[in-house]
Amino acid sequence: MGERPVSEHQEIRNLIGPYVMGALSPEERREMEEHLEGCAPCREEAQDLSFVHERLIDLANNAEAPPPELESRVMAGLPGRRARRVPLVAAAAVVAALAVLGALLYSTGLFGQDEVASATLEATDLAPGAGGELQLSQADPNARAELEVWGLPRPGKDEYYELWFGKEDGRMSAGTFTVDARGRVTLDLSVPEDASSYKQVGITIEKFPEEPRMSAAKPVLVGQLEES
Amino acid sequence: MNDVADEALVRRVGQAGDERALSELYDRYARLVYGAGVRYLGDRALAEDLVQDVFTSVWRGAAGFDPSKASFATWLYRITRNRATDLIRRRRARVRTVGEERSPEIGEEDPTGELSQSFDVASALSRLSPTHREVLILAYFQGLSQSEISRRTNTPLGTVKSRTTAALRALREYMLEDEDG
Repeated sequence: MGERPVSEHQEIRNLIGPYVMGALSPEERREMEEHLEGCAPCREEAQDLSFVHERLIDLANNAEAPPPELESRVMAGLPGRRARRVPLVAAAAVVAALAVLGALLYSTGLFGQDEVASATLEATDLAPGAGGELQLSQADPNARAELEVWGLPRPGKDEYYELWFGKEDGRMSAGTFTVDARGRVTLDLSVPEDASSYKQVGITIEKFPEEPRMSAAKPVLVGQLEES
Repeated sequence: MNDVADEALVRRVGQAGDERALSELYDRYARLVYGAGVRYLGDRALAEDLVQDVFTSVWRGAAGFDPSKASFATWLYRITRNRATDLIRRRRARVRTVGEERSPEIGEEDPTGELSQSFDVASALSRLSPTHREVLILAYFQGLSQSEISRRTNTPLGTVKSRTTAALRALREYMLEDEDG
């Protein structure tokens, strides 16, 4: 077979993709096969792209579109998604300032003026010496939960704390957090407006990637939510 | 956001709790996770649980993701495999209780490594330029012919053909990079 002009070679080479996909017309296919017989670089590329084509076929076979509404369910169920997280590095720095500000606001009667419920969190034997306070107040559109904890053990690798609200017929996660070196953190969380209908508050320590489970986990802090 | 690399997206999730970044990762990989669920769990409801579990795990674990140890796709594949195993165990426990139907063995998941490879291909696909990605998605996931792609994208047929070749070449390069990676 004679040498083909470079432009013709390039033109045919640009068709190797549809060729390996079986997407050329019979005439184009015949022309391609004739070209491949005399062109080692194009034969090599056809082999390489054929491999990619097979992997794409596998991918298409392995993939299936989930129900469209699943994404919103996944996003709505993300733990702590509405929590305003306190970055670890910032947490230690702001704790002292928040404590001073909290004391100031409390003394002037501004703190908790819309408070609808509160809970004093008592330590279990998993975290002796720890404690916490939780205040729920009205906010728009959700309720606001202010949580302050102290004396909690520093979570280990892949561990984090999770705040739960519980009642007889269910529980809900209200956010995840970690603590500073002294086991303290102050958080301001947006929670569902019916949070005050829950009677129990608990904090568990969870470990990624295990599934958080208030029912099975032993809480480190527990409390009863009481209307103010 | 569809030009942002997987690893940058997961960093945004980990550092800022960025839901849009998680949503983009969902768009890129949920079909594969759901498809794996249908295939290996044999149940669409369980496959939905798998998708929910996997992306919740990504949300929770994003801050600890280390791109120097594995690509996002590899990490996601491992999460998918572990979560699928958990779901099989749960179902097996339930089946034992009621004494009905045999559930699949854990070892039956992905014996040929094909699913793992598909996560890597999905990762490479997500790194293509939007025009290259589009032409391959229309061909492989929507089953359009080259002429149909030409009409759908209002692009000359010859351009669609050469673009398809260029897209496969680029995908191969990314797959090789990932292998060497």
